Amino acid sequence: MIFLLLNMICFGAFAQTKLNGSIIDEKGQPMPGVSVTLKGTQNGVSSDVNGKFSIGIPDGKGTLVFRFIGYAEQEVAINGQTQLQVQMKNTSKELEDVVVVGYGVQKRSSVTAAVSTIKGSDIATQPVANITSALGGRAAGILATQGSGEPGRDGSNIQIRGISTTGNTQPLVIVDGVPRNYAQLDPASIESFSILKDAAAVAPYGLGGANGVILITTKKGKSGKPTLSYSTYYGWQNPTVLTKFVNAYQYATLFNAADDNIGAPHAYSANDLALYQNHSDPNGHPDHDVLKELISKNTPMTSNNLQLSGGSENVRYYTGIGYLTQDGFWGPTNYKRYNVTANLEADATKTTKVNVSLNGRVEDSRNPGVSSGNIFYQAFRTPPNQPLTFTNGLPGSYISRSAYGNIYGSGYADSLGYTMLTQLSIEQQLPFIKGLSIKVAASYDYNPFNPKAPNDQTSAINSFGRSYLTPIVYYSYDPTTKAITQAGSDGPGNPTYTESFAQSQAFTYQGYLNYHRSFGKSDVTGLVVLEARNTKSSLFTAGRINYNVPIAELNDGSSNSTDINNSGYSLATKQLSAVYRGTYAYDNKYLFEASGRYDGNYYFAPGHRFGFFPSFAAGWRISEEPFIKNNYTWINNLKMRGSWGESGALAGAPFQYLSSFGLYGNSAVINGQGTQGLTENTQPNPNITWERAKKTDIGIEGTLWNGGLTFEADYFHELRSDMLFAPTVTLPAEYGIGLSQVNSGSMSNQGFELTLGTTHRFSKDLTVGISGNITYAKNKLLQVFETAATYDNPNRRITGRPLNTRFGFQSTGFFTPGDFDASGNLKPGIAIQPWGQVHPGDIQYKDVNGDGKIDNNDIVPIGKPYDPQTVYGLSPSITYKQFDFGILFQGAMGRDFYDQVYPFDNSASATIDNMDYWTPTNLNAANPRITTVPATNNIQTSSFWIRNGDYLRLKTFNLGYTIPTGVMQKLHMHSIRVYLSGQNLVTWSKIKNFDPEVSAQNGQYYPQVKVITVGANVTF
Amino acid sequence: MKTPIKYISTGWLLLALAGILSSSCKKSLDSSLDITPHDRLSGPTVFANTSTADLDLNDIYNQLPDGNNYYDPFDNWTDNSICGYAWPNSRNEAQQANYTPATITFGNQALNLDWANNYGYIRKCNVFIANVTASALPESYKTTRLAEARFLRAYFYHLLWMAYGGLPITASPLDFNKDGNSVFLPRSSSDDTYKFITTELQAIASSLPVTPQPGRVSQGAAYTLLGWVQLYNQDFAASAASNLKVMNSNTYSLFADYGSVFLDNTANSEAIFYRQYIPRVKGNFYGSVNGPTFTKGGVETSWGGVDPTQELVDDYAMDNGLPISNPASGYDPKHPYTHREQRFYESIVYDGSFSYNDTIYTRQGINSANEIDLSDHNDAGQTAYYIRKNINVGIQLGPDNWNGLSGGQNYYYFRYAEVLLNYAEAQNEAAGPDATVYAAINQVRSRVKLPNLTAGLSQTDMRTAIRRERRVELAFEDKRWFDLMRWKMGNNLNNPIHGVAIKSDGAGGFTYTPVVPPGGNHKFDVSKNYLFPIPQYAIDQNSKLKQNPGY
Repeated sequence: MIFLLLNMICFGAFAQTKLNGSIIDEKGQPMPGVSVTLKGTQNGVSSDVNGKFSIGIPDGKGTLVFRFIGYAEQEVAINGQTQLQVQMKNTSKELEDVVVVGYGVQKRSSVTAAVSTIKGSDIATQPVANITSALGGRAAGILATQGSGEPGRDGSNIQIRGISTTGNTQPLVIVDGVPRNYAQLDPASIESFSILKDAAAVAPYGLGGANGVILITTKKGKSGKPTLSYSTYYGWQNPTVLTKFVNAYQYATLFNAADDNIGAPHAYSANDLALYQNHSDPNGHPDHDVLKELISKNTPMTSNNLQLSGGSENVRYYTGIGYLTQDGFWGPTNYKRYNVTANLEADATKTTKVNVSLNGRVEDSRNPGVSSGNIFYQAFRTPPNQPLTFTNGLPGSYISRSAYGNIYGSGYADSLGYTMLTQLSIEQQLPFIKGLSIKVAASYDYNPFNPKAPNDQTSAINSFGRSYLTPIVYYSYDPTTKAITQAGSDGPGNPTYTESFAQSQAFTYQGYLNYHRSFGKSDVTGLVVLEARNTKSSLFTAGRINYNVPIAELNDGSSNSTDINNSGYSLATKQLSAVYRGTYAYDNKYLFEASGRYDGNYYFAPGHRFGFFPSFAAGWRISEEPFIKNNYTWINNLKMRGSWGESGALAGAPFQYLSSFGLYGNSAVINGQGTQGLTENTQPNPNITWERAKKTDIGIEGTLWNGGLTFEADYFHELRSDMLFAPTVTLPAEYGIGLSQVNSGSMSNQGFELTLGTTHRFSKDLTVGISGNITYAKNKLLQVFETAATYDNPNRRITGRPLNTRFGFQSTGFFTPGDFDASGNLKPGIAIQPWGQVHPGDIQYKDVNGDGKIDNNDIVPIGKPYDPQTVYGLSPSITYKQFDFGILFQGAMGRDFYDQVYPFDNSASATIDNMDYWTPTNLNAANPRITTVPATNNIQTSSFWIRNGDYLRLKTFNLGYTIPTGVMQKLHMHSIRVYLSGQNLVTWSKIKNFDPEVSAQNGQYYPQVKVITVGANVTF
Repeated sequence: MKTPIKYISTGWLLLALAGILSSSCKKSLDSSLDITPHDRLSGPTVFANTSTADLDLNDIYNQLPDGNNYYDPFDNWTDNSICGYAWPNSRNEAQQANYTPATITFGNQALNLDWANNYGYIRKCNVFIANVTASALPESYKTTRLAEARFLRAYFYHLLWMAYGGLPITASPLDFNKDGNSVFLPRSSSDDTYKFITTELQAIASSLPVTPQPGRVSQGAAYTLLGWVQLYNQDFAASAASNLKVMNSNTYSLFADYGSVFLDNTANSEAIFYRQYIPRVKGNFYGSVNGPTFTKGGVETSWGGVDPTQELVDDYAMDNGLPISNPASGYDPKHPYTHREQRFYESIVYDGSFSYNDTIYTRQGINSANEIDLSDHNDAGQTAYYIRKNINVGIQLGPDNWNGLSGGQNYYYFRYAEVLLNYAEAQNEAAGPDATVYAAINQVRSRVKLPNLTAGLSQTDMRTAIRRERRVELAFEDKRWFDLMRWKMGNNLNNPIHGVAIKSDGAGGFTYTPVVPPGGNHKFDVSKNYLFPIPQYAIDQNSKLKQNPGY
C-alpha cells in the first residue's frame, strides 16, 4: 500500500524543476539513506540524515523510484509536483503475510491449517517476566492460567483448545525449530508466535503434537543501516487479591462463639476482648493484620533492553541484551534476568545461506529459606491475636512456627539458571534440480534441569543452587515480667548449607530437503526432514549441616561425617524422526496438503518405539473464483479449509515396559547403620505406547472491505485415545502392587473458535480498532477406568462427563431448630448424616436416593471443572495524533470454584467472611454454625461451597505518546515513545478471597500480581 | 507431453529417504533408541548376589510399623490417653467408633493396620521369598534370610488378623498375568489364619540366630511373636510354652532402670524385637509431637499428642504396691501425686512436675500455657497430664525434633517385660497362679521397686493383678487396644475418659475434680467393634471378601 501525504502545489511547467521531498517510515520518522532515482535514468540522489532529498527533474515529468533495503520499493509519479513526502513501507508487512508453520513458512493465503499468530511486539512492553503469562486472550485457542506471581515462578499453564486428555496437557514449544523452554526468553527478541492447533498444523510434530504446538521465531537482522534502540520500564507490583482476615477482637469474639457452640468455656475473657479492642497491650494482646504486615506495597520491577540490528545485502545481524529485575513481596525475594541474543545470517554464496544464532540467559533468584507456599501457609494460619512480631521488632510464633521468621530468619535459597541455546544452519540451493534446496541444522542447548518437571514452565529453574537454611529463632513474651526472650526455633536445628548443580544438554540434528516449483497453474512444494534428538541430564548436590562459623561454604561446615551428605544421578532421552509435507495448489484456488511424521522414542519397548502420524488438509479460496472476484469487490479474501489427521502425546513415565526394582536411600536401620532399600516397581506393561489424537478441523477465514473486517472461525473435534490409565482389570487390594499403566482411556473434545477484527481510520489523526477472540471447548470422557461404585450410579458416573467434573453432596441449606426433637435428635423422616451429631446450623445434604441416610450413594455432580469452557479476549485500540491507547480484556466462563475456607481449620485464623455464620437469628448465613474445629459434617465436599468461577480481567493497559518528528529531528534521534502500562489491573470475579486463577484453593500460595509501569522506547 | 523428469528424480530422492526408515532397518533404528535407565535395577540383577538381595530385605524391614514417628499413637484409641488436638483420627473416628467400611483408615497410628498397605508388605515378603528360593545364592544365606522374611510376613499377617479376623492368605506373589482370576482370594477362617501364622513361626524359629545383627529378627523374636499370637487366640498352654522358651534362652533380662529402657538406642538386654533409629539421619520425632506442649515461657515445643487419662493415672499403684482404691494404700486425694509407684513418675508429666527443663503447670487460674484445654483451643493437654515415658528430654527442644527427626530411641515391638507378663497371663489362665506366675510378674514389679504380690491370690485376683500390671508397665507401647480386644473389655470404651481440673482451694492447697474434656466421650459397639470393618475398597475390588458382622 502506498499513500502520499502532502503538498500538491503546482508551480506550472519549467524546463528543469527542482523537486524537494522528505521520506518517512511507517511511524512518521525521517528515513536517511533512501535511494531516490528518476525511473529509466541514471539521475539519482539519497536522502540526508533528516530524510530530506532534492533532485532535479528535466521537464517536471516522470516517475521517481524509492529504494531502501528491507522496505518495499515505491514508484511515485511526479506530475509536476515540486514538494512531496513519501512514506516507506517495511517489508515485514509482507512477512506478516507469511506464517511460520512446522519446519517452514507458508503464505498466509495458502495455509490450509488452523494457525494463530501473535506478534512479538504485542507483548514486548507487557510487564511480565514470564512470557507464558503474556499470551492469554491474545489469540483464539489459548488458555493461559497463571497460578502464582512469585518472581521466577510466575509462569502460566498453557492449554490449547481446552483439555483433551487426562494426562499431560502442555503444548509442545518449539523455539527456532527446536523444542526449548521459552518462558524466559527476552520478549524483545521475539519476532512472532505461531499457535498450531489442528492436525494439519501439528502432524509434523508427531508424538509431540497432540496438545498443540507453540512455535516461536526469534528476531533476525534486516539489511540496512544499523538501528539501535533502547527500551526501559519501571513498574510497581501489588497482589491482585489478598484474603481479608479478622482482627484480634473479631477473632476472639468468633472463638468464644465457637466455644459456646461446643459447650466449652470461653477461651477469651472480657478483659482479653477489651485489650484486643483498645490495643493497650500490644505484646500480650496483639492485633496484627498478618498478610498486610508481611507483604510490602509497590515492590519494583524493571526492565532494560538494548537492540542493534542491520546489515548489508549479504550479511544481516540482530543482537540484543536485556536486563530484568523483579522484587518479591518481601525483602529477601528477588529475581534478576540477563538475556543476550545474537543472530547472524550470511549469504555465503549466491546459493548458500548460513545462519548462526546464540540465545543465552542467566537467571539469578533469591528466596527465603522457606518456600512461599509455606510462608503463606503460616501467614494464613497465624491468628491476628498471636505475636507476629513484638513491639521491639523481634519475631513471635504460632504453634512453634514463625510467619515473620519464615521470611526474615530462615536463611536463603539462591539459584542461578544458565541457558545457552545455539544453532548453526546451512541452506544450499541445489542447482541440478530447480526449486530444490537442502538445509542442515545442528543445535546444542545447555539448559538448567528440573528433575521433577523437565517441561514445567512454571517452576523455578536451577543450574546452580546454594541454600543456607538456618534455625528460625522466635521469641516469647512473659506477661508477668514483660520480658521478651528467645523461646525456641523452627526449621533445621543447625545451619544447613546445600549446593546443587544441575544441567541438561540437548543435541538436535536436522536435515531438510525442500522443494518448491510452479508449473503453469500448479504450485508444488515438498519437504522432508530427518531429525535426531537426544538429551543428557545430570544432577549433583552436596551439603553440610552444623556451621559454627558465619561462613556459608561447603568447606566451612562441620567435618563430622554424619553432617556431610551428597547425592546425584543422571538420565538420558533419545528421539528419532522423519517429517514430510507436500502441498499442491491449483490456480491459487484449490489447495491440498499432506504432512506427517514417523516418530520413534526411547520410552517404549523395542518393537513399540515407532509410530506414524499422518494428516491431510484442503482449502478453497472462494474469493479467487470469478463469480466472487468479479461481483463482490468488497470481499478481499475468503477461504474455506478443512483438515484431518493424527498426532501423539508421550504420557506417563518412561520404561514402564521394564520389570524393575527401584533403589532408595535411608531404608531400615540395621546394625545401627543406615541402609539402602530396593523396592519392586509396578508390574511392567511391554505394550505400553503413546496417546493418539484424531483431530478434525473445519474453518473459514476472510478479509472484507480492505481490512474493515477480518474474521476466522473454526470448528474442531478431537478424539484422544490410548490415554494411560491403571489397568481396567480390577485387582484385589491384596494384590499388593500396582500394574503398569495401560493405553485404555479415551475422551473427546470439541468446540469452536472465532476471531474478529476491525480497524477504522476516521481521519488522518484518529484510527480506532478492535479485535476479539473467543474459544469454546467442551470435553467428554468416553472411556476411563472407573469402579463399579461410581460407574453403576448414573449420578456418580465419570464416564460421559467432562474431565474433573466436581462431585459431592447436594446441600439443601442448614438444619433448622425445627428439624430436631426436644432431646436434640433429628426428627424421624430426616435422613441421617454419618459424620457425628448434627445441630441446627449444620449443612444438610440431600438424600438423593431416599434411603434415609446420607452416604456415598447420594453423591451427585455439583459443579463444572476448574478449567473454563470458554475463554475470550477483547482488545480495543485507539491512535489519536501522537497518542496510542490499547487495552486487552481477558476472561473465562463456564467454570466453578470451590471456595471453602473454614475458620480455625487446623487451628488457623478466620477470614472476614467467616464472621457470617449461622445462628438462630442469622438463618441465611454464608457459613454454617461455627465450631472451634470445623465439624466433619460441614467439611464434606458439597454444593454448598461451589461458586461461579467466571472472571474478566483488564489484563493489559497501554497508553503511549510518541514524540513528534519535528522534535526528534532537532534531537537527531529517530523516535521516542513514552508509555504508561499495566498488567492485571482490574479483575471482576465472584471469588472475593482469592485471585480467580489461584493455584491452591486454600490460598496458601504466592498471589498473582498487578503491575503498573512507566516506560520508554527510544530508537537512535 | 514431456516427461516431467524432475518430478521423477525428486520422487526417487523422497523414496530413498523413506527407505532409510523402512522395516529392513527398523531393528537397528529400534536399538539406536536403547537407553539403560540409571534409576532402577532389573529383577534378575537384584537376586543375583547377596548384597543386592539384602537391599530388598532392608526394604521389608523398613515397612515395619514406625511407632516413634506418629503424632497420634495407638493408645489414643483406648482409655489410656487422648490426643491434645482435635483433628487426628483417634479423636474423630476411633473414640467415637465412627469407622465404617468407607472411612476406616489407619494413617496416623503407631501400628499401621491398613489393609492394602500390609498386603503390599506381604507381597514384598513373598517376592523376596520366591526369588531367593529360586536363586543360586548360597544355602547359608538362604536359610537365615528366608527365615527373616517369613517371620516378617507372619508379623504383617498377625497385625491384620488381630484387626480384621480371618484373612485371604497367599504365600507367593500374586501374578494376574499368570494366574488370572485365581488372584481373587476369599478370606480364610480366623482359625486357619491363626494356624498359618503359628505354623510359619514354628517352622522358621530354629533357623534364626539367637543374637543376630541389631535390628534383625532373632529366634527369641519368633518365639515371642508365636507366644503372643497364641495368647491372643486364647491358646494359653501353648502360649506359656512359647514364652517359656524365650525366658529359658537366657538371652534376655530386664533393664535395671525402667525409664531408661525407652531412651536406649542399642540391642539391649530387654530388647527382643525393635526398630532402631539414627538421630537426624533416620531419626524420630516422638518427643516433639507427643511430649508436653508448652515449655519455657509458654513456647510450644511439642504438640501434646498423648495426654494420659485420669483412668490410667489411677491405675498406677502407690509405692507400697497397693492400688489407690485400697483404703490401706495411703492415697490422699488432696495430694494425688505423692508416694506413687516409680513407673508413674517415669511415665507421666503431671501438674507441677518437671520436664524439658521446665516446671509444667496444668492447673487452672494461673495463666499457664499448659492449663487443661477444656475449650479445645490449642494443642495444650486435654487432661492435665502429658507423657514422660519414651520422651528424651535431653535432646534439643522445639520443632527441630519434628523437622530434624532428632530422636534416636528404639521402638519396641516386643521387649522382655512383655514376655514375662505374657507368660504370667497364659500360665495363670492355663494352670492357675502357680509359683512361675508369681516369679514372672514379681520380676517385673521388683525392677520398679514394688513389693511382690501377696501370695495365695485366686486365679481371678491374679488375672486382675496381671491386667493392672500390664496396663501400667506397657502404657503407651501400643498394646492397650489389643489387650482390651482380647479380654473382651470393649465396653470399657463406652465410659467417658477424664482429665482433672486442678484449682486452688483458696487455702494453699488444690482441688482435683475429674472432668470430661472435649472428645472424651467414647463409644464402642460390643456387637461389632471387636473387629474392624474390611475397607469398602477392598470388597469393591474383590467380591470374594465377606464383610465382618455388623458393618
